[in-house]
Amino acid sequence: MEISVNEGILDLNERAASENRKLFDRHGLLVINIMGSPGAGKTTVLEKTIDVLIDSVRLAVIEGDIYTSKDARRIEKHGVPVRQINTGGACHLDARMIRKALDEFDLENIDLLIIENVGNLVCPVEFNLGEDIKVAVLSITEGDDKPLKYPLLFKESAAVILNKIDLLDFTDVDMDSLRRDIRKINPVVDIFEVSARSGEGIDDWVRWIIKKVKEKTE
Amino acid sequence: MHELALMAGVFDIVKKYTAELPDKKVTRVTLVVGELTNAVPEALESSFQVYAKGTNVEGAELIVRRIPLTALCVECRWEGKVEEYTFICPKCSGLGLEIKTGRELYVESMEVE
Repeated sequence: MEISVNEGILDLNERAASENRKLFDRHGLLVINIMGSPGAGKTTVLEKTIDVLIDSVRLAVIEGDIYTSKDARRIEKHGVPVRQINTGGACHLDARMIRKALDEFDLENIDLLIIENVGNLVCPVEFNLGEDIKVAVLSITEGDDKPLKYPLLFKESAAVILNKIDLLDFTDVDMDSLRRDIRKINPVVDIFEVSARSGEGIDDWVRWIIKKVKEKTE
Repeated sequence: MHELALMAGVFDIVKKYTAELPDKKVTRVTLVVGELTNAVPEALESSFQVYAKGTNVEGAELIVRRIPLTALCVECRWEGKVEEYTFICPKCSGLGLEIKTGRELYVESMEVE
């Protein structure tokens, strides 16, 4: 006997994500989901971002990690509320994990929630969290072939941060071709070239966030 | 390896549809998977085996129907296959390509006996 089903495999997560989104919208809270490989520099970018943003935006952070709370401890030192989610083996955060973590925050007094996803170029992007914006962090030392190898992340992201730009001279990366590939996949994406280590380029990226926060809260 | 997580979703659906058919054995599950998803067919297959073991799905055939990535140009109305993930219209060079197919990720049907 043949049974017709036609049900989305991710439907459960999608429903939880849209509940999250309603909650975020009700509180006028902008939510950014940051994704990228392990070692791309997501946490370092975030640390530099917090240091600039902290005077103008009320922000909080959710740190996703498989087992440890190392990143949350780093973020904590920058004086913002942070909550660690350990996925216990899973390669991505999902919407229900986020929902649970939200109980720990005073959402009414936050304008921006930044979620750092588990380090992984593949899995996290399939699982919507209810965020307004996805952002990809790619370090140039990973090579300029990554966008075409992992197109979905670059397609879904509103911004791409190309990190470790200070190391360009030590790589064979062709920046023009890297930018071209990203724009081929996503012609409307904003690209920021930064060095989280030196702070180069962080100001432009922070101005972009502030603009997005204003758009959401006004 | 999020295919295991995806497969958990597949089996939630399978269970829902077979809850009232306790004596039935599932012999086939058909998934529809778009080109612009991060689900790898081989990994889906091995995750399927893991979840099926010891259930009424054990031994069932998994069919993965792949759907190509296609788009529609909002400017010149060109419609066709997107090559190499290039979201620039091959006809008018417009940047407004809307995805038509290629993001599917669903259970299409099951066969039970």
